[in-house]
Amino acid sequence: MTYLLKKSEVNQTLRAWTSKAHVYAPQKVQKYAQFLPVGEDFELSVEEPHNTRFPPKALFLPQSETLLKYNPQKRELESAKTPDQPRIIFGIRPCDAKAVTLLDSVFSSEDNPDPFWQARRDQSVLVGLGCDQPCATCFCTSVESGPFDRSGLDAILTDLGDTYAVEPLTERGVSLFENLTVASAETTQTIQAIQEKATREMPIAFGREGLKAHLDELFENEIWEDFAKSCLGCGICTFLCPTCFCFDIVDEVRKSTRERNWDTCMFKVYSIEASGHNPRPSRRERTRQRLMHKYSYWLDHTGQTGCTGCGRCVRYCPVGLDIRAMVRKSVATPSEVPHVD
Amino acid sequence: MTELENRILAEAQRLLSENLADVVIAFKQADTPLRPQPAFFTDAEAVNDLVYNGLCQNNLANYLTRYPREKKIAMVVRGCESRSVNALVLENQHPRENLYLIGIPCEGIVDWRKIVEAVGEDVLSVQDQADIVVVRTPKGEFTLDRAALMHGSCLRCTQKNPLGTDVTIGKPVAEQDPHLLRERVKNFEALGIQTRYEYFRQESERCIRCYACREACPMCYCEECFVDHTGPRWTESGVTPAGMQGWHIIRAFHQTGRCTSCGACERACPMDIHMTYLTDKLNTDMYDKYQFVAGLDAKTQTPFAAFNLDDKNRFVAGGTSK
Amino acid sequence: MDTAKKIVLFQCQWCLYAPEDQDWVDHHLPENVHLTKVPCTGRLDPLFILNAVQGGADGVMISGCVPEKCHFKEGNLSARRQMDEFSDFLNYVGYDEDRICFTWLDLQDRGRIQKDVAEFSKKVEALGKSHSLNTRSVLPQGGAHD
Ligand code: SF4
Ligand code: SF4
Ligand code: SF4
Repeated sequence: MTYLLKKSEVNQTLRAWTSKAHVYAPQKVQKYAQFLPVGEDFELSVEEPHNTRFPPKALFLPQSETLLKYNPQKRELESAKTPDQPRIIFGIRPCDAKAVTLLDSVFSSEDNPDPFWQARRDQSVLVGLGCDQPCATCFCTSVESGPFDRSGLDAILTDLGDTYAVEPLTERGVSLFENLTVASAETTQTIQAIQEKATREMPIAFGREGLKAHLDELFENEIWEDFAKSCLGCGICTFLCPTCFCFDIVDEVRKSTRERNWDTCMFKVYSIEASGHNPRPSRRERTRQRLMHKYSYWLDHTGQTGCTGCGRCVRYCPVGLDIRAMVRKSVATPSEVPHVD
Repeated sequence: MTELENRILAEAQRLLSENLADVVIAFKQADTPLRPQPAFFTDAEAVNDLVYNGLCQNNLANYLTRYPREKKIAMVVRGCESRSVNALVLENQHPRENLYLIGIPCEGIVDWRKIVEAVGEDVLSVQDQADIVVVRTPKGEFTLDRAALMHGSCLRCTQKNPLGTDVTIGKPVAEQDPHLLRERVKNFEALGIQTRYEYFRQESERCIRCYACREACPMCYCEECFVDHTGPRWTESGVTPAGMQGWHIIRAFHQTGRCTSCGACERACPMDIHMTYLTDKLNTDMYDKYQFVAGLDAKTQTPFAAFNLDDKNRFVAGGTSK
Repeated sequence: MDTAKKIVLFQCQWCLYAPEDQDWVDHHLPENVHLTKVPCTGRLDPLFILNAVQGGADGVMISGCVPEKCHFKEGNLSARRQMDEFSDFLNYVGYDEDRICFTWLDLQDRGRIQKDVAEFSKKVEALGKSHSLNTRSVLPQGGAHD
């Protein structure tokens, strides 16, 4: 069943939901959009810029969070409470929702789930917004996703001008929207046409055929040096990436807390060991790690590419390093070292 | 290719083929339209994709400290970059005799954020022409006034013509009023302490601690930054108010007498955080108190590397200050 | 006294010539004054001051030797340039410069530290609680978004 949600009623609908859940939606902060709690003066921002600058993974894995507290009076450790509020996340793009499902394989693994991640995942309903107008930096169809990918979503919206067509995908999705008008069969067809067209028109950035094996063979190649030359070694590409999940656990002694912060393989201090040895001593190894993790090691671990093609790293890299071009250049580089198993 | 680019290219080729430089640091076209990429040419034959235009937003002096001292480096420098190079030479980061500076009088850097603001996020190509910038987007072509797109730091720049170069390519440009920096600082000071703190709080709150500002700055070359130090830990490590404010205060303060107001930090920031107003204050003070401007030459010590018995400031003998 | 404003005193370990002054600082400071001894004011790093401020100091006092009497010859002179600029800078950012005070003690300044601490305490008392940069807060549970 497909429903129709008038754009003029989005504000009201979202505000109504706040009585039963924490509702998050992209809103303008300065000149960019960011997922923020829906409040009284809420205004949805999904037009321009299309996607949020900061990735919505932060809704599940906050950049900094407290895991433990030490109570110096009682001399006791207290574990932080896992969040227990139901949440609705409205307007998340398919690439970002797909990224959350990828991260499930890290934080929701059966033998060792992360209680904080798990609690937030269980509490959240994800309402996605498909992309009929992909940006110049998008390449989701090149990495096993697409502008109307349904992974991880409870409902998906298609923009019909002054209305959103709503396709609930799960029970939880249905319960949010069941009071709305049902779309006609004709409209359903239009929606399908829009979705197919968007998927078809998304340019293919590179072919994935044999990519992993080829990259593995390039491990010692000098292209990494080449990429690393201009790379600043900042955290932009990884912090803005919806699938990067590395973290660092720190004891903040002055506050008696143990906190978990995002960390990134692009920092030198990330891989430095207590002895002072750094297995990734230069930018060459670190640049290689970012690309290889996404396009090779993820496949080893989960069978999926660890990139969903959102294009944030391409857009915001201060020196114009484009991961799509890096992959293309790798493909064009013949491997000299034969692959040894 | 513009005439200017041709001349830079010819000079780069000459330096490499005559073995006067091991590497020429310049820019090349990146795969994204809004940002050319720093390029490192080592082969005279391969210099063909060199570009130079207003979108070249990085401070190339940043890459100087990546090379061993014996490397002969040639580098394209604008006014601020030439000052950064001086400041680095002063700090013994590279011997001046192993540097060859190709100076370019600067017309100001075009701020990609202002382009995005004017035409929307999706940009297919940008052409920087003398007075206008032509931007192609899926919605059509836009012709924008170049002056209106200039980065804030360039609007206040006082040294557009490079200093102490080995060769200068292009016509000298007119310098601006040297008081623009002070004016900005004084205007901000006039807002009152509450407003100033509120502004600082809001700006630093958006920081994601990616340290792009640090990595983009030529003067931030420490092997270990104070924020990465764990024993003792100087600031909170997370995106907490204390952590973010501490980061911004000390990052800026460590630039005292060293920052050349190039604005590379601000242009690199993914969250559009304004931070040059902090270093502008320090630069203004260094001038007002010690008549010092960073990077004018490679000899004068920075104020914090020296002191004087007669220093006049609020800390006076024979009583508590003020 | 709960309401007294918090003051952090950085004291150069050489600046108090009279043993009774040092004894007073070591053992009899008012409860709201927290002491950190440093080997010389030249050892002071802006990070020390910032840590005090972020930890909730309503005032920061630095005591050191007068020029030309520095135990390490010139440590106090280099501290002077940095601390002067740092307090101007903090003022620019939003921490009132009147909350930072420097006192320079000489051989004949017996008993002055008591007076200076009292005077500064009074001044800080008048300024009231500091609300800016006082940011060492525990994160909301479960991160910023919940
Ligand atoms: S954003 Fe660009 S400069 Fe920064 S680490 Fe990533 S690739 Fe390097
Ligand atoms: S602090 Fe910013 S403006 Fe100053 S030199 Fe560094 S990058 Fe340039
Ligand atoms: S570049 Fe911007 S977001 Fe990154 S650490 Fe610097 S101020 Fe923060």
